[in-house]
Amino acid sequence: MKIEEQTVDSVVIVSLDGRVDGSTAPDLEKHISDVVERGDARILLDCSKMDYIGSTGLRVMLAGAKKCQQGGGNLVLCTLRATCKSVMEVSGFLTMLDYYDTRESALAAQS
Amino acid sequence: MNEETLEISLVNDLKEIARVAEHIDEFCASQDIALEVAYAINLALDEILTNTISYGYDDDAPHRIEISVRPEVEALVVVIVDDSAAFDLSNAPTPDTGASLEERPLGGLGLFLVHQMMDSVEYRREGERNIVTLKKNKTGEQRPEDG
Repeated sequence: MKIEEQTVDSVVIVSLDGRVDGSTAPDLEKHISDVVERGDARILLDCSKMDYIGSTGLRVMLAGAKKCQQGGGNLVLCTLRATCKSVMEVSGFLTMLDYYDTRESALAAQS
Repeated sequence: MNEETLEISLVNDLKEIARVAEHIDEFCASQDIALEVAYAINLALDEILTNTISYGYDDDAPHRIEISVRPEVEALVVVIVDDSAAFDLSNAPTPDTGASLEERPLGGLGLFLVHQMMDSVEYRREGERNIVTLKKNKTGEQRPEDG
């Protein structure tokens, strides 16, 4: 998995590329923690290139969302592929977290 | 369609899971199995192997885990055999998927997802070995890129 980061209008966009599984989820956990610890609690996870997520990745996203909320911000998701989207849907994540079909709509809602 | 069986042998290292996924993806592509079916099998294997490798062994020795994937007429049958501690995963707790972000506990989704994504999950213990048998129905849909 590759993680890229950019900031647009004080929203930190974290783009995920590849598999978020038991061996790569700790990298995402650390990345989100680092972002929140430096004081940026508004995170947009761009999932357009994420081709796999399992429960370890979901746990890390949930923990990250809780951290952002405690830091006065939030963590939102955009552009999930169909297979990943169905996993998130059945887990209740698409109602618990804010989800947007495009990066633009996610940014507009965040700013 | 060539009804061959895929066999994968791995050691108890979490890094092996990505290699397993590559084999599953290649095999499913060669058998014209729908992407969502391949995804579901990868997810079930990720959850089960992560559990087994993380919590199933009380020593530091290498252990072998054997996986086979056999296409049947209507389903893919996946068998996982390992010598980790006995753990019956044929029943999974149901998480409260309607909970809010504040209320939602971390974890508790792995086995739930296995049961959600598979059509059957069976467990048996034979001697010192766990034998898990998963079945996933093939949908009739073609892979989109194959037209």
